[in-house]
Amino acid sequence: MNTAQAGTLESMDCLVTVSEAAPGTGVKIQIAGSSASRFRTAMEKKAAEVIASMGVKDIELSIQDNGALDIVLGARIEAAVKRLIGGGR
Amino acid sequence: MAKNLLGREIPDFIEGYGKTKLFQGAFALKPEGYRAGGKIRCVNSTCTDKRVSDIKAAIAASGLKSGMTVSFHHHLRNGDYIVNMVIDACAEMGIKNLTLFPTALFGVHKKLIEHIKNGVITRIMGSVNGPIGQLVSEGGMEVPVVLRSHGGRPRAVAAGDVHIDVAFIAAPTADKYGNICGTQGKSACGSLGYAFTDAQYADFVVAITDNLQPYPAAPISMSQLNVDIVVEVPSIGDPAGIVSGTTKVTRDPLRLLIAKYASELIEASPYFKEGISFQTGAGGIPLAVTAFMKEAMIKKGIKGSFGLGGITGYFVELLKEGLVERLMDVQSFDLEAVRSIGENPKHIEISADWYANPWNSGAAVNMLDVVILGATEVDVDFNANVNTEADGALLHGTGGHQDTAAGAKLTIIAQPLLRGRIPCVTDRVYSVTTPGEVVDAIVTEYGITINPKRKDLLDACSAVKGLPVVSMDELVSRAHKMSGPTDPVETEDRIIGVVEWRDGTVIDVVRQLKKK
Repeated sequence: MNTAQAGTLESMDCLVTVSEAAPGTGVKIQIAGSSASRFRTAMEKKAAEVIASMGVKDIELSIQDNGALDIVLGARIEAAVKRLIGGGR
Repeated sequence: MAKNLLGREIPDFIEGYGKTKLFQGAFALKPEGYRAGGKIRCVNSTCTDKRVSDIKAAIAASGLKSGMTVSFHHHLRNGDYIVNMVIDACAEMGIKNLTLFPTALFGVHKKLIEHIKNGVITRIMGSVNGPIGQLVSEGGMEVPVVLRSHGGRPRAVAAGDVHIDVAFIAAPTADKYGNICGTQGKSACGSLGYAFTDAQYADFVVAITDNLQPYPAAPISMSQLNVDIVVEVPSIGDPAGIVSGTTKVTRDPLRLLIAKYASELIEASPYFKEGISFQTGAGGIPLAVTAFMKEAMIKKGIKGSFGLGGITGYFVELLKEGLVERLMDVQSFDLEAVRSIGENPKHIEISADWYANPWNSGAAVNMLDVVILGATEVDVDFNANVNTEADGALLHGTGGHQDTAAGAKLTIIAQPLLRGRIPCVTDRVYSVTTPGEVVDAIVTEYGITINPKRKDLLDACSAVKGLPVVSMDELVSRAHKMSGPTDPVETEDRIIGVVEWRDGTVIDVVRQLKKK
């Protein structure tokens, strides 16, 4: 199974890991880390938005968060997905 | 269920705590009646040596039984061996159902979890941190934890809210008749400030030492008058955990900027003049504020009267350089502070009662001009929370937060607007520790936010060119914008923590976290 990563575990950053998923399985998001208790909803929304905007339909995404703001989270997801699908989009 | 002055819902009666008194304002409640006291003792010349062979003998002699209250002080910090040693011995002796009344607990005390689970400890009155805090937050104790400030604790003892059956005092030096001091010996910790009230009011006092000196030991900080038994053990603590090395000023540019703004606020205030007194603690930002203030004091040629509270090497430096005349020390944080309090008569050991108790004839905090504090969050009404983390877990003690805020003429909370993604300024704090009526300003990297009730400070700051003044509305909307919307903390109804204001009224309660 192909996976790719972007980000770090520095403060105010996050480590995003994405893996290929079989067609039709949809988008699966896992969130853990420091902001998860109070920002899960916002983080899920941001992750879903970025993935949809990249035209990806089936993917597994895991976020290990260390206090990333939305703008950082979005960038890390975008980078991880591009690495997974070989960039170019 | 009734609402206190801050709109917090407080039940009339809390199981395991009792009837509640509602918080009605920082200075509203006035005491009545007389102080409580410990048992009267009589020791004649038939006893000229108070030593017993070991901890178990001391416990047996103290008359400690299941269901009683035992107290400890935290000057050995994360190096402390005493709490675990005593509770382990109680467990082995079959004593159960104890109320633990520490001035604070540290990571080293996580061993107590087994004794909470096996019923040796059934109640904690005092701060719970780390793993014990997590356990309590998730409902791991039957009885709620009671949080009191450094001043609220001696008040509760003197007023009879809490009766100490046996106090265990960690004594870096002692003699066989119970004269104690904290500044000498291999486990020297400096001030013994928090232990004084316990020694005065407990029915029985056990001193535990690893440095026994011939009678009479000198210097003496706590005397034989209140100590019933002395136990010698190989070691009372790990020196590496008792004192830290030299505390350093932060080098993080963001925190330095915040410290600079805070220092500028102090300089702009009417309190920045000859004889200024201040408390800044040991945190990175407050220490940096002291560094900036020092520069400003030298530049303007003014000298301070005293530094208060937990004392660091940085304060010792100010004393040596004549930039403050005295240090009043309730807890010596580092090696320099320990050395200084042992050598320099201008570096004074004070008790927690003297430091911060609202119900005596005047605590040291009343004489304070400026205090720099932190908080996990502050709300639009300037209420501050230091007890719970963003996820709602009860993880921090109150310390001197309430007392210094109530006493100081200028109370500043200085910290970054966000910690990670979590905003430090919010519409409504999850739990209140210190009411907004005694908080004068919040300082963040975006500038200085003044409590509107302090129009004098607002005017003073506006008169200084280039000083960034940010309104609370602006600050909170900036925090919202950066962090995004938060999910609520999900809790059960059950109360696991009672936060007392320093006068013993309930300022807030903390509820059990819902299982995830």
